[in-house]
Amino acid sequence: MRRKKVCFVGYGSTEYSRKSEESLLGQYAIAIRDVLNKTGLKKKDINGLSVTTQASPDTAPHVAEQLGFELDWVLNADYGGASGVGAVSRAADAIECGHLDIALLLAGNSFDRSVAHQRQLEYQRGNFVDVYGYGGPNSLMALIQRLHMENFGTTLEQVGKIAVAQRFNAINNPQALFREPMSMQDYLNSRMISDPVRLFDCVMPCSGAECIILASEEKAKQLTDKLVYLVTDAEKIHYQVANMLPEKTTFGMKLVGEKIFSEVKREDIDLFEIYDDYPIAVMIQIEDFGYCKKGDGGKFVDAHDLTYKGDFPVNTGGGELSVGQAGLAGGFLHVIEGLRQLRGEAEGHQVAKAERALVTGIGWLNYGRNLGTTSALVMERRK
Amino acid sequence: MAEARAPQKSLPKINPVDRPFWEGAKNNKFLLQKCNSCGKVQFFPRIACVDCFGEVSWIEAKGTGKIHSFTLVRVPRNPAFKEEAPIYYINVILDEGVIIESRLLGDNKEKVKMGDRVKVRYEQTHNPDIKLPCFELA
Ligand SMILES: [Zn+2]
Repeated sequence: MRRKKVCFVGYGSTEYSRKSEESLLGQYAIAIRDVLNKTGLKKKDINGLSVTTQASPDTAPHVAEQLGFELDWVLNADYGGASGVGAVSRAADAIECGHLDIALLLAGNSFDRSVAHQRQLEYQRGNFVDVYGYGGPNSLMALIQRLHMENFGTTLEQVGKIAVAQRFNAINNPQALFREPMSMQDYLNSRMISDPVRLFDCVMPCSGAECIILASEEKAKQLTDKLVYLVTDAEKIHYQVANMLPEKTTFGMKLVGEKIFSEVKREDIDLFEIYDDYPIAVMIQIEDFGYCKKGDGGKFVDAHDLTYKGDFPVNTGGGELSVGQAGLAGGFLHVIEGLRQLRGEAEGHQVAKAERALVTGIGWLNYGRNLGTTSALVMERRK
Repeated sequence: MAEARAPQKSLPKINPVDRPFWEGAKNNKFLLQKCNSCGKVQFFPRIACVDCFGEVSWIEAKGTGKIHSFTLVRVPRNPAFKEEAPIYYINVILDEGVIIESRLLGDNKEKVKMGDRVKVRYEQTHNPDIKLPCFELA
């Protein structure tokens, strides 16, 4: 859908950690203080709150109570890895309707063991997948990667080029957990996890939080002179659900892309923040968006420089593969990196021409198919 | 305390919708749902036809099919499966035309290739009332 008067105003983050047992509310507080400091907003200016996490049984209204927010709008935004884009879309709907003018979209993960967390597997995965000793999402994406390699001749080196380029992008990103250079040989030599998926195809779970401020254009103009507009956004949920022989190497992103590119020209995107739980998922999304034919993702990757200095910059801060995955905050990382680039604040990994970014989110792997949710948005810097 | 107990292999939490499937498996039958209205065959078990929302009945599958994709799980999610790693986790296209998720067993499983024919084999779990349909190369 075409958006006219909704803007991104700022973002806040915590450090990421593989060990910290900081509470989830503690993580939230750090990210919120960061965004309030950066934007000059007061807590009382915020009249909408969205919360995304799997690390607490408390839903958004209860989190709002604990953090002391009196609100006109509240949302529990759980769409798996698509939650970042999904929360932005829903907040934009509400802002356009006039329910609120400043929304704080919050997400985080914590290893605090004093709180019951990590929800049960959903029904189909509990009863018909986990019983076989599967290896979590790593195994389910491995099935898809094997099909892509088998059907289209995609090579490990082509998949690995995505991980290697993203690591290059992470080297100057202080938030990234992995900032050591990674070579193709390092990628190929990394330990097998679920063939053909290896260690450097997988994200590192970590603790941390992210937040985004979305506002009406009117409010945004009072708050910042770096106006970043939400241009368009779309999503597809349970693509091919009724197809018992689904095409596993095509995501719902194909249909999302058709909607997005009916509003924006494919060629006008300067940078790509593409949800990267696995490099193969990035490759498939590039195909789904029509930057090359289905199956030609490997050749596309060969022909382009995916680093922040390149002609097709992807996951310019390192993505989840190099930064880490703070649970469902993983999908917020891509929105925030897009915003950071468009605001010209990506020191050490800034894309030279950064006016328009495509940001995506994909969520969970379904029984026998591929993704549950696929969503995307385009943001644009206007003078 | 949950922490003190040795990990147990995962078992289905059988519910009214999928009970006929698990009853079937116990009797060495692989049951699929078929829509009474449009005839669509589906799996996993659902409350209604995933396509037209019609009511569904159960049919017996032949228990044969072919490998659609596979992976060797080196790190099972549930540590109780660790001893058996690598687990040959598979997608099978049943001859009835549905993709199912399962596990490949048998001495020759290392030879598996895409498209290989497979047939079902029922594995007794640690619960005497639950058998798990797995596959072996045909
Ligand atoms: Zn039907």
